[in-house]
Amino acid sequence: MNWTWFHKLGSPKWFFHRSKAWALPLFAVGCVGLIVGLIWGLVFAPADYQQGNSFRIIYMHVPVAMLAQSCYFALGVAGFVFLVWRMKIAPIFIKAMAPIGAVMALIALVSGAIWGKPTWGTWWVWDARLTSVLVLFFLYMGIIVLQKALDDQVLANKAVAVISVVGLINLPIIKYSVVLLETLHQGPTFTLTKKPEMPSEMWLPLLVCAICMYFLMAGLVLWRMQSEILKREYRSSWVREEVMKRGL
Amino acid sequence: MTYTSFLVSEFLLIWRRKQDVINVLLFFIIAVTLFPIGVSSSPEFLASAAGGIIWCAAVLAILMAVEGMFKEDFRDGSLEQWVVSGLSLPALILLKVVAQWLAFLLPLLGIMPLLSEMLFLPESSFWVLIMTFLLGTPSLFLIGVIGAALTVSLRQGAMLVMLLILPFYLPVIIFSTLAIQAAEANLPYSGQLALLSAMSLLSLVISPFMTAIAIKASAS
Repeated sequence: MNWTWFHKLGSPKWFFHRSKAWALPLFAVGCVGLIVGLIWGLVFAPADYQQGNSFRIIYMHVPVAMLAQSCYFALGVAGFVFLVWRMKIAPIFIKAMAPIGAVMALIALVSGAIWGKPTWGTWWVWDARLTSVLVLFFLYMGIIVLQKALDDQVLANKAVAVISVVGLINLPIIKYSVVLLETLHQGPTFTLTKKPEMPSEMWLPLLVCAICMYFLMAGLVLWRMQSEILKREYRSSWVREEVMKRGL
Repeated sequence: MTYTSFLVSEFLLIWRRKQDVINVLLFFIIAVTLFPIGVSSSPEFLASAAGGIIWCAAVLAILMAVEGMFKEDFRDGSLEQWVVSGLSLPALILLKVVAQWLAFLLPLLGIMPLLSEMLFLPESSFWVLIMTFLLGTPSLFLIGVIGAALTVSLRQGAMLVMLLILPFYLPVIIFSTLAIQAAEANLPYSGQLALLSAMSLLSLVISPFMTAIAIKASAS
């Protein structure tokens, strides 16, 4: 297999030029798809025979919760890449991704609470999945706070990489440990191996929402990474050229 | 510098700064006292909550102890000496953690009978509590030390270490209190103890190396 693309990723310049054209289309596709998916889910999908209309919040809740977890996985992988290959782009990615992940975890918690009130009769329970998302949110906040507190760029890069990797190793343990506490939450909605247990009119819009949420986030991350690259590389000649020639 | 001289100097440092250990112990005792006063002082409540109370207070106390572990070494330049000493940095860190662990854990265990008596902990689960401490605290020290190393260059790092590290302590607290609860209900608790030791072993594998990366980055 040809690995040159992977090594090229180490160059912020290469990454900036390659990704520049991608951010807007990804974001736009994600936005449009999400709106379509949400309208489809909120208006046209049939109501649940038990929960009525309150189930419709899953069209927001499930994609966001999936993202919150995938974001942390991505952070851990990026941290590992930085510690092993010292790739300059990895800490930029972590810095761009962490706040997005934190917001996703927060939206998942809030939307879950709103759904929990009519369904379980309570805003919050100390259930395994709720607790693990809450911890996930704390982990994100830890990364963001650490990043903000360290002024030295080199040290900050290393520090967030270390804490992301440690977090990635610990996340399964935290998840498993809270599962031992009582659980009220239903099993995962989507698994790779089984067909979902709800009718297709219900899960198709959910699938659209989830996929488009990923697109939306990819676009956002690319944007944030590009502006971070410009900020970090402001001394180099290619940035000056870029700004002079095309403006921003 | 050799490994032995390093370990001896660490023990000497701890001995000459006894106040640090005493402070953490006092903090631990005060934190435990807050619960009967703040929540409920009835023996029934305390007996069922004792394990959890002692563990929560201990986690906070240990984090206090670990948080400043490298501060003095960073200020007087010892950290840089470790890096250039030619000895393996992860091994040095591990030695330091072992020294600190012994220095804080032994007094902590020493006052445990007193505290468990004050909290009406059933006698049958006292030894389980001691065992969860012996098996679980290595993991707390090893994980906490990563946070301490990451924030060593900051003047006010204590709060940051709390934010960073406390979420990682959750599994240890959960398994320990589950073990104590199981013992109180006359159920087998060896599974939870095994999980605690597994976590300590896992942190033993990861933590010295991660801490070494953090210290190298901070010291340069």
